[in-house]
Amino acid sequence: MDDFAYTRPDRPQVAVALAARPGARFVAGGTDLLNLMKDGAEHHDHLIDINALPLSGLRKVEGRIEIGALSRMSDVAAHPAVREGLPVLSQALLAGASPQVRNMASMGGNLLQRTRCWYFRDAAMPCNKRSPGSGCPAIKGQNRRHAIVGGSEHCIAVHPSDLAVALTALGATVHTLSPRGARSIPMAGFYLSPGNTPHQETVLGQGELITRIDVPVTPLARGSRYVKLRERATFEFALVSVAALVRTQGGVVREAGLAFGGIAPRPWRPAAVEEALVGRPLDAAAIKAAGAALVRDAVPREHNAFKVALVQRALAEALGEFGGSR
Amino acid sequence: MSASVVGRAVSRVEGVAKVTGAARYAADTEVTGVTHAVLVKSTIARGRVTGIDTAKATAAPGVLGVFTHQNMPRLTVPGPQTMFLKGFLPVQDGEIRYSGQPVAIVVAGTLEQARYAATLVKPAYDAETPQVSLAANMDLAYLPEPHPMSGPPVYTRGDVAAGLESADVKVAAEYSTPLQHHNAMEPTAMVAAWDGDRLTVHASTQGVGDLQRSLMAAFGLPGESVRVVCPYLGGGFGGKALSWPEPILVAAVARQVRRPVKLVLTRADSYTASGHRAETRHSLQVGATRDGRLTAIDHTLTQQVSRTDELMFNNPGQTRVIYACPNVRTTQRAVRLDLPIANFTRSPEASGGHALESALDELAYALNMDPVELRLRNWSATNQETGHPHGSNHLRECYRRGAQRFGWARRDPRPGSMRDRDGLIGWGMATAAHASGGVPGAGADLVIKEDGTARIRSATQDVGTGTYTVMTQIGADVLGLPLRGVEFALGDSAFPRSVVAAASTTVPSVGEAVVRAATQGRDRLIALAVADSKSPLHGLDPKRVAARDGHLFDTERPSRRIAHREVMRRHGKPIEVVVSPAAFTPRRFSVGAYFAEVHVDPGIGRIRLRRVVGVFDPGRVINPKTARSQVIGGAIWCVGIALTEHTLVDPYLGRVLTPNLSGYLLPVNADVPDIEVDFIDRPDPSSPALGARGFGEVPSTGLTAAIGNAVYHATGVRVRDLPITPEKVIKS
Ligand SMILES: Cc1cc2nc3c(=O)[nH]c(=O)nc-3n(C[C@H](O)[C@H](O)[C@H](O)COP(=O)(O)OP(=O)(O)OC[C@H]3O[C@@H](n4cnc5c(N)ncnc54)[C@H](O)[C@@H]3O)c2cc1C
Ligand code: SF4
Repeated sequence: MDDFAYTRPDRPQVAVALAARPGARFVAGGTDLLNLMKDGAEHHDHLIDINALPLSGLRKVEGRIEIGALSRMSDVAAHPAVREGLPVLSQALLAGASPQVRNMASMGGNLLQRTRCWYFRDAAMPCNKRSPGSGCPAIKGQNRRHAIVGGSEHCIAVHPSDLAVALTALGATVHTLSPRGARSIPMAGFYLSPGNTPHQETVLGQGELITRIDVPVTPLARGSRYVKLRERATFEFALVSVAALVRTQGGVVREAGLAFGGIAPRPWRPAAVEEALVGRPLDAAAIKAAGAALVRDAVPREHNAFKVALVQRALAEALGEFGGSR
Repeated sequence: MSASVVGRAVSRVEGVAKVTGAARYAADTEVTGVTHAVLVKSTIARGRVTGIDTAKATAAPGVLGVFTHQNMPRLTVPGPQTMFLKGFLPVQDGEIRYSGQPVAIVVAGTLEQARYAATLVKPAYDAETPQVSLAANMDLAYLPEPHPMSGPPVYTRGDVAAGLESADVKVAAEYSTPLQHHNAMEPTAMVAAWDGDRLTVHASTQGVGDLQRSLMAAFGLPGESVRVVCPYLGGGFGGKALSWPEPILVAAVARQVRRPVKLVLTRADSYTASGHRAETRHSLQVGATRDGRLTAIDHTLTQQVSRTDELMFNNPGQTRVIYACPNVRTTQRAVRLDLPIANFTRSPEASGGHALESALDELAYALNMDPVELRLRNWSATNQETGHPHGSNHLRECYRRGAQRFGWARRDPRPGSMRDRDGLIGWGMATAAHASGGVPGAGADLVIKEDGTARIRSATQDVGTGTYTVMTQIGADVLGLPLRGVEFALGDSAFPRSVVAAASTTVPSVGEAVVRAATQGRDRLIALAVADSKSPLHGLDPKRVAARDGHLFDTERPSRRIAHREVMRRHGKPIEVVVSPAAFTPRRFSVGAYFAEVHVDPGIGRIRLRRVVGVFDPGRVINPKTARSQVIGGAIWCVGIALTEHTLVDPYLGRVLTPNLSGYLLPVNADVPDIEVDFIDRPDPSSPALGARGFGEVPSTGLTAAIGNAVYHATGVRVRDLPITPEKVIKS
């Protein structure tokens, strides 16, 4: 690991001013950043520790819950307002990492964690995301855990966050601060597709600080759930996952929010899946149609073709909870 | 009369030291003036180093030396008799044989300085395309030279073709297991310090004596000049059982920088530095008569070996030994690949046993016969390979007791027939078996001190299995002392020569030495007591005298007795005994039966293990608590091998892609159900160690097949390629 400077400001404006310089980086829980730096996958010469900033805690306001960017995964997951009003969020957080990691890891850091693609995390390998233009060995190599949709010929890594999948389905908004001021970004527009710039993962600019995440509290969110499939019973990233918000009335789907993890370079929420369900009874045919819409454009690779079937099963499993049959 | 301490569920004698942090592992060793080494490893898997730029690293703060093949002292490659099996020492020439091979060593005042400087070392390579895929290179399979550690390349008894020909029912199948790593909790560590021409190395090793001999060979030093110390190990599982290059390299650079040097391998290092279980293919043909008697087994193993060795550690011994079958052939073939050397991992016979036990389950279905019944019908009182009787073999009782505890009689054998509200239930079983002993014996020395207590020493190791505890129990039992009256010391090459803590061999070898030393010591104590005119036992025939609870007593009038302490006080000087290693420990098989219940949701491919019952015959159980722990640990390893573990290697770059515990999936607590353990606990009359046989590796065999067989029973899908991951069972 290279030497780096370390600053711990206590005012957001100071933090973003410091971070505006190239080579500077925020550190929150450090559960991802430090691994990346130790493994030589990322190099930063100035770490700005944001833990002294007043960005922790949850606030319930009319129609939404505001979650400070520094709130820890475990605290958010356990918060009664989240457990009752946004079960998918609580479940997605608890399905991630381990209790120890969740006690350290922040909400903002979670959204910006980097892919677990093996090649990305080994600095001795080529990787377009880590060193642009060096190639993508995953496309022909060990790609069992890689994307089946949304990838490009330059990168097929999946975004690892469970939280991001839940927030995408919930239609959350990310609030940020930079020297140019504050702005808010809907989850749907927060992550970028890899295209030929897989190293650019979000719309955030250098030194732009996530201050909070606003999540709408709606009747739709109340009955939501998160399904995560993986080999181990716990402490593992998703092979595939589904955040499902569904409201039915008289057996007919009135509203749906469905986002998928483990299959794409960013949380995946194709409109076609929801369209296949809304206005129809939640029966086997509708679920099948939704699954087909989900994988219509899938580009499976040598080792990950199983995800095409598995993610449809996960969808059926998730919808089963709302009275659908799988 | 108090019961013997042997057979009692004694807690680990070193347990308090471990949980309070008083136990010093290799990396904890405090040596004044210690410096730190970090390895620079090759990023290519095959080719040559054409140059290494070390200028920046050498100039970095705190750096004491940067060593490459260009400036490293020349070292002698130790021979295999020192358990140095790698065949070459890295950092001695420019050739690269696998990705992750050390190409330079950086030594600096602090670990951080060494780590940073290591990133500044820039090797240049002339890279060739590596071959790392077993599947793609099966046509290169060949029969390696025979080696005692590998088992026979080809073994035949009877006429296999005729046996298959005469079978009423045949099964032919191929099973594969992926590359797996040991993953001991403690990373391998070492500290090397020179005092003139004398070298002391504190190292995490399963073989202090072997490592000492490898260092002697590398530096051309006599035994009295090299000492290896290892009082505690945080697991080894075979990964620390060989003599590896790192301690030699670290000692060499310590001599160069004239300071003690410490190296702690990173987790990532351990995926290329400590061996692995080679990827295997097992091709089996099994024939049986209609009533389930085996007529032939043809078992061919193909596994990866490296460019620099061809040892095989997946010997299908169980196929040759356990079941009554007149016609058996086992073949072991190797494929050379550009990977590090493979070695024994947990139980080396586990992959062969997995294949055999899976094939027997397929045979049971083909015969429409209960798999327990099939195994009972083919039980053998003799070791089928040698024709000699087993010392004892209560495998039939393991099956019966296990089946009963599990409730096996309620099993509906039809696949998919048992279910609950949210999925399918499968019950499977398999035999667990592993060889033990068959290696040279161990030595020991004993001192009975003037206060009547005893200290026994042997250059053995405690991998975490309980060696300290069971040897203390054995010594105390023979000497007639309470547990606290005996101290057992190990982990020092200066102690009497012993054997590597591997191959399930410590209890039969070291236990035998402790029995011999303690018996001699006790007899000398008795001789003193009967010769002493002031002793209540004066003049008695020594044969009438026994030892118990810290006293010698007249077996015909137990109230006539004298304390060990008293005898020794009057003697006024210690009793000293040294026993040299027995030529050989008998080769035996310990056995058991595993029963497993899985729950499978075939829609989403979710497989969860629900219940395990294991019943074992290790001969006499010296300590039910440590033995039970060994079973639980072994069973958990099996869960990993069956369901999650596999090391990924990039097919083109030849690099391990999962060199950490986030990518290499070991089972977590939530994957491990209740494991019910039981022992037959009957002494093996042929055992030289109070009726106990070696047992360590047995529990990490068999359960993988029981789980696979249970998955088949649940789903009707036979997964022959481990691990059994969701995509292999989802219903299409
Ligand atoms: C073993 C392990 C298993 C895991 N398993 C899972 C899993 O199953 N599911 C899952 O979702 N996650 C998992 N994680 C990832 C974990 O959730 C993330 O590491 C964690 O959420 C990151 O948060 P942090 O506060 O530690 O971020 P840091 O490591 O401190 O930072 C991560 C990145 O975010 C940036 N950053 C942090 N906060 C801000 C902010 N407020 N504004 C702008 N930038 C910011 C940093 O600059 C850095 O680039 C796992 C992690 C580990 C180590
Ligand atoms: S998939 Fe993306 S992250 Fe992985 S190697 Fe290719 S470019 Fe790098």
